[in-house]
Amino acid sequence: MDIRKNEFYKSWFKDAWPYVTGAVLLSAFQIITFATTGNPWGVSGTLAYWGAWIFELVGGSVDTWYYFSSEGAQRTLDAGFLQHGGTMQNLGIIIGALFASLAACQFKIKKLKTVRQVVAAVLGGLLMGYGARIGFGCNIGALYSGISSLSLSGWVFGIFLFAGAYVGSKLLVKFFM
Amino acid sequence: MAEVELDCMGEACPVPLIKAEKALEKMAIGDILIVQIDHSCAMKNVPEWARKEGHNVELDEVDDGEWEVVIEKMK
Repeated sequence: MDIRKNEFYKSWFKDAWPYVTGAVLLSAFQIITFATTGNPWGVSGTLAYWGAWIFELVGGSVDTWYYFSSEGAQRTLDAGFLQHGGTMQNLGIIIGALFASLAACQFKIKKLKTVRQVVAAVLGGLLMGYGARIGFGCNIGALYSGISSLSLSGWVFGIFLFAGAYVGSKLLVKFFM
Repeated sequence: MAEVELDCMGEACPVPLIKAEKALEKMAIGDILIVQIDHSCAMKNVPEWARKEGHNVELDEVDDGEWEVVIEKMK
């Protein structure tokens, strides 16, 4: 039997899941995350810790940095990479995405097409990363977790996210088309 | 009837969709546009847009993680 023709394989691994399935699963897992860890789900805050740990690995110190000055942040930094729940969640996203693309036979290492793509990716990444820290969260921690815990800040974040996306898409059409 | 190939390999959303929209605009009814993509969300949004516009659409998986969206311009 050819597994690629199997209906179960197709609906579970090959085809994209319906939006509603994704929404229900995301909601369920973020409630579980909040209930078990005491913190709402976030992604980009963890990346700041990854940066700090890498900086410490090469001999740097962030002890005097205002961003890491709270007791909680210092405790997290001292406990290390393997003791950090957010780190495990982010690794789970990366490994899960890898598994999903492999299971669907869609894994591919993409070639870079133009230098412009590289510049845009690096510039976009830096802006998003910086913005996410200045705004105390990204579209997960500030928007998704904010709104789902009935915080007004999540909605305010959402309005400006849309404004940013509007400007961003105009720039995209201008420079990439 | 012309057949146009549009290379969108390595392009992320929404670039393939916008490029396909612009390419199809210039084509005549009955012409075929083949959009080559390797971005899985373009595999969803390019056929969705073309079907909504009323064109004939076929999606071929040509290799692991590579697709061709074949669009026949209908109007």
